[in-house]
Amino acid sequence: MSTWKVSGIRCQVSGGLRLQVSVLVLAVGALVIGAPRVETQSTRPAWAWKPALSSANDGQVHILPVRGRISMLVGAGGNITVSSGSDGVMVVDTGTAAMTDKVLATIKSIAPRGVIRYVVNTSERDEFVGGNEKIALAGNTIRFRVATDPRVSDALNKDRASIISFVSVLERMSAPTGQVSRHPEDAWPDDTYSSAQKKLYFNDEPVLIMHVPANTDGNSVVHFRLDDVVSVGDLIDMTNYPFIDVKAGGSINEIVEGLNRVLDTTVPDTKSELGTLVIPGRGRLLDQSDVAYYREMIAIIRDRIQDGIKRGRTLAQIKAEKPTLDYDPRFGHTSGSWTTDMFIDAAYRSLGGK
Amino acid sequence: MRSAQGESLKRIGLLLALVALSGLPTLAQTDVITGMWRPLARNEDGSGMDGDYAGLPLSPAGRLRAQSWAPENFDVPEMVCRPHSWDFSIEAGAAQMRMTPEIDDPTQTLIAYQGRLSMREQETTIWMDGRPRPPDYAIHTWSGFATGEWDGDVLVETITHLKENYMRRWGPMRSDDATVRIRYKRLNNNYLRATVIVYDPVYFAEPYIRTSLIWMLDPNLVLPPYPCEEATESVVEHGTVPHYLPGKSLLPAQDPKENDQFGTPYDARLGGPETMYPEYIKKMQPFPRPNVKAGPAAERGQ
Repeated sequence: MSTWKVSGIRCQVSGGLRLQVSVLVLAVGALVIGAPRVETQSTRPAWAWKPALSSANDGQVHILPVRGRISMLVGAGGNITVSSGSDGVMVVDTGTAAMTDKVLATIKSIAPRGVIRYVVNTSERDEFVGGNEKIALAGNTIRFRVATDPRVSDALNKDRASIISFVSVLERMSAPTGQVSRHPEDAWPDDTYSSAQKKLYFNDEPVLIMHVPANTDGNSVVHFRLDDVVSVGDLIDMTNYPFIDVKAGGSINEIVEGLNRVLDTTVPDTKSELGTLVIPGRGRLLDQSDVAYYREMIAIIRDRIQDGIKRGRTLAQIKAEKPTLDYDPRFGHTSGSWTTDMFIDAAYRSLGGK
Repeated sequence: MRSAQGESLKRIGLLLALVALSGLPTLAQTDVITGMWRPLARNEDGSGMDGDYAGLPLSPAGRLRAQSWAPENFDVPEMVCRPHSWDFSIEAGAAQMRMTPEIDDPTQTLIAYQGRLSMREQETTIWMDGRPRPPDYAIHTWSGFATGEWDGDVLVETITHLKENYMRRWGPMRSDDATVRIRYKRLNNNYLRATVIVYDPVYFAEPYIRTSLIWMLDPNLVLPPYPCEEATESVVEHGTVPHYLPGKSLLPAQDPKENDQFGTPYDARLGGPETMYPEYIKKMQPFPRPNVKAGPAAERGQ
């Protein structure tokens, strides 16, 4: 059995996955040194020794059992949360399109007989909705009318898991009238909400899907209340500064407020650690103190940019002051789809900078 | 004849068993660290003035991170129960320590050491059974994931999966990407020496190394509990983050004019790799000395 214990948390990989993950731990550990890394603003210097750790940069989907019914899938783009139990499977976010087959195989290995009933989209970025179509079509929501009922329309008479999101996610994924959506219709959410939260009872557990505007105006945060696990999607990226889509209603202030909402939802065990566990959009599993740390970083950077705006500095002048200097070695990127420059741009504009 | 062969086989079997067991950690080795340990007085790095980073190999990023820190940070509700990190306490020697072995009953081999420090109730498990480290996407904790191995009679602990935590109680941090090594050596039976090495590519420009002879064996020690609850109400407004903007730190050691008890030049108090080395004492002699006496609250000596 592959067992890890990190001060009170014991992660066990059981059943048919034991060998698979044990081998992965060893094999990936050997590969990780040579694995391609996203270019950060500070690469690890030679003196900064660290033992080789297995990572999820090997093109495979990795399982981290989190607690009870909940697992975290890593390596498919954004992290994916899976709840498996007697009602079937609920998936929070679906990763990239390219990884969908591997995601489905991994879900099957967690829940061999479980039918995917629900998909929840926490936002509409490609790393989080890329697998929507295939994963939804691989599942099946229990319909309230049998297929032969004459009142069942074609649209409802389709075997697929229901895709839940805040309504603005559907609006952007389906594209405005007259425009062509980038996503096929089967990838669109079909069970939207526009209130503060949506409630489900699934796998003998209350599940709260809460509207928490942050990166856009449509973020959702999912709280599995019995297992006490919160899946926050794009709101927290432990590998980068958070994405902000200003056009879609996102702002750095909303991100801080969103993180405050998560902090209000989570309860630590003693010593400000563990207790409620938090699955971020990317990177490692978290607890409340990690969320507080991330909130601290975003609030500090926000205040520096805001201070620059108050002092009449231009965007270029604020960038020259390096408002992210202390966090760049940990979170900064000079290349890729979301760079530090883009983050400062978006934060500046969301604070009213011209 | 049969009896002699049987005796030989027994001896060979015994020899093989001894050879096999020699590679496993044994209880005899636990004597190096097992016990109740009383902290001894120790020398403090720097002046003890709030905001003094002398002796820490801070990088520019590490310095800005430290200078942003405000004392109200201790009152952020989510952080009031944050313990010192294990490596900080081992270096600082601020609390009693208990180390107990965890033994696998059937084989009587050592699985781990369980460590506990009374100050802010830190706990650690030093795994001695060769288990693999968790993947990099596993959770990080204040004590991290620690493994141990023997280097002669020195126990070498290697810690990963740490949360960001302070190197001194006024802002300088080591990051969650750091690796920490601690070398424990027992001296003259009753004393324990710990050498802490911090490899942090985020906030340090070089490894930080500190050796302290800080523990004395004391079997009669009792570790008090340190219960802590998240602060429902605190002086910090809900949802806010206390910090200083760049150049606006109010910590006395970050004021070029304020003097400490040793007259440490301001430049030295900014820290950096060269401030770790003895040669720096000579280098800083011609530096200008601050001339405003700091108030007594500025030097808490923590």
